[in-house]
Amino acid sequence: MMTQRTWRVPVMTAAAALVLVAAPAASAHRMEKHFAVGERPVITISNHHGRIEVKSWKKPEVVVVGNHNSNKVEVDTEQAGNRIEVNTHLLSENIAPAELEANYEVTVPEESELHVKTDSGEITIERVFGDMTFDTVVADVQLQEVAGYMVVKTIGGSVLCARCAGRIDVRSFSGNVRFLQPQMDNVRVETTSGNILFDGDFLRRGIYILKNGNGLIEVRFADTDSFDLSATTVNGTIENQARIKPDVHGRHSPSARFKTSLFGTVNEGHAKVELSSFSGTIRILKRD
Amino acid sequence: MQCHELEQILEQGPAPLPADAATHVSACARCRGLFADLKAIETVAREFPGEVAPPEHIWVSLRAQLEEEGLIHAPVAAGRGVGWLSALFGVLPRPALAAAYLACLVVGAILLSVPSSIRENPASQANQMQPAPAALTAQLNTVESSALSGIHEHNPVVAASLRDNLALVDKFIALCEKNLREDPRNEAAREYLYGAYQQKADLLAMMMDRDASGD
Repeated sequence: MMTQRTWRVPVMTAAAALVLVAAPAASAHRMEKHFAVGERPVITISNHHGRIEVKSWKKPEVVVVGNHNSNKVEVDTEQAGNRIEVNTHLLSENIAPAELEANYEVTVPEESELHVKTDSGEITIERVFGDMTFDTVVADVQLQEVAGYMVVKTIGGSVLCARCAGRIDVRSFSGNVRFLQPQMDNVRVETTSGNILFDGDFLRRGIYILKNGNGLIEVRFADTDSFDLSATTVNGTIENQARIKPDVHGRHSPSARFKTSLFGTVNEGHAKVELSSFSGTIRILKRD
Repeated sequence: MQCHELEQILEQGPAPLPADAATHVSACARCRGLFADLKAIETVAREFPGEVAPPEHIWVSLRAQLEEEGLIHAPVAAGRGVGWLSALFGVLPRPALAAAYLACLVVGAILLSVPSSIRENPASQANQMQPAPAALTAQLNTVESSALSGIHEHNPVVAASLRDNLALVDKFIALCEKNLREDPRNEAAREYLYGAYQQKADLLAMMMDRDASGD
């Protein structure tokens, strides 16, 4: 019978062997590049599949760490002044889905401009302040504590914007879009069948236009929020918890055009909120 | 000759191809497809009735999209007097040209589905949907087939999503059309239908863009 001490040795040896075998596979191709940049660099990342994480720091330097396992993809970086480009190239037409994967960890100055294009995987951006564009097929986009003008175009990827500031345009087909605690004064979302959730303050003078073909549009407002509301649907339904007064700005409501509609003012009507759905459900809920 | 050199030649608009370009087209399947698409679009464009005038909001929307994509930089409204599609044909720089043409076709399809009597008098009894011309529908189907056949299968999740979302938009278009057939005066449904066709154009353009850039 093996003592506790004796069985530990082969187990630990096996574990060490596993680590040695696994380690090269996990980072079969790893590259790390450092780029000195000036103020507000522009970083463009183009990928096919994988995880893209962008974080910020206060140094005037961009660091790109790329990992991929396959010999059928290649990572290419380029600097032209304040512009950095990161591209994943496919080296073969015969490539398995798993071989497409390339993952990036990118660290950028806080004030940077980003352009990210990928088909699938995940994009996570944290604490970057600058204009940004995202173009995906099914890759999910997560924006956390970012600020600037953001444009997101996705076919089936979801979009999560947590504690974001500035303005955003989102266009999706089936991807869901969520805003949590936003501080944004201009939000435009259009999706064919995705759900839209806006859980945050409507800023004074803000404009919020949320539209889908079907699916759920839900906004959660605070008692102190002040906005003009227009909610319309051709074949859907509207559920409302807001105490609405007739529009104090004298706007005429084209309610005859819609099967169900709701127009009016909450408090002084500082912000403008337009919710429209062809056949989905619109919920205007009071935040707890 | 390389593909990008051919694209530069095609930028110049409809004209007979130089010999080396023709040789390239015959040897390169992708360029052959692009060239065939452009020729077919040109043919359809010539069949457009001269009096077609897009409603202002459609024109503004199309122009904004073309500007956003960097396809045009100068106001194109000046070209309206000579025919809006012809004007575009002359001023568009080449990148993603197929997408722009596609948007034009889609907008054209919508316009042609609205009789002029409705444009002039929305309360007209003739307020009914008209089918788009067969040539236009055929061309749109060709573009759609081309976009679908260009989908790269090496990422099945992406390929499935592209197909599923195209089906989704088609379903939405059918739903809007059904509403409009049931209530031809439903302007809200008509606006959603405009939007749905624009969505389809956007989606096909994204698919074609990915086909072109997939390396």
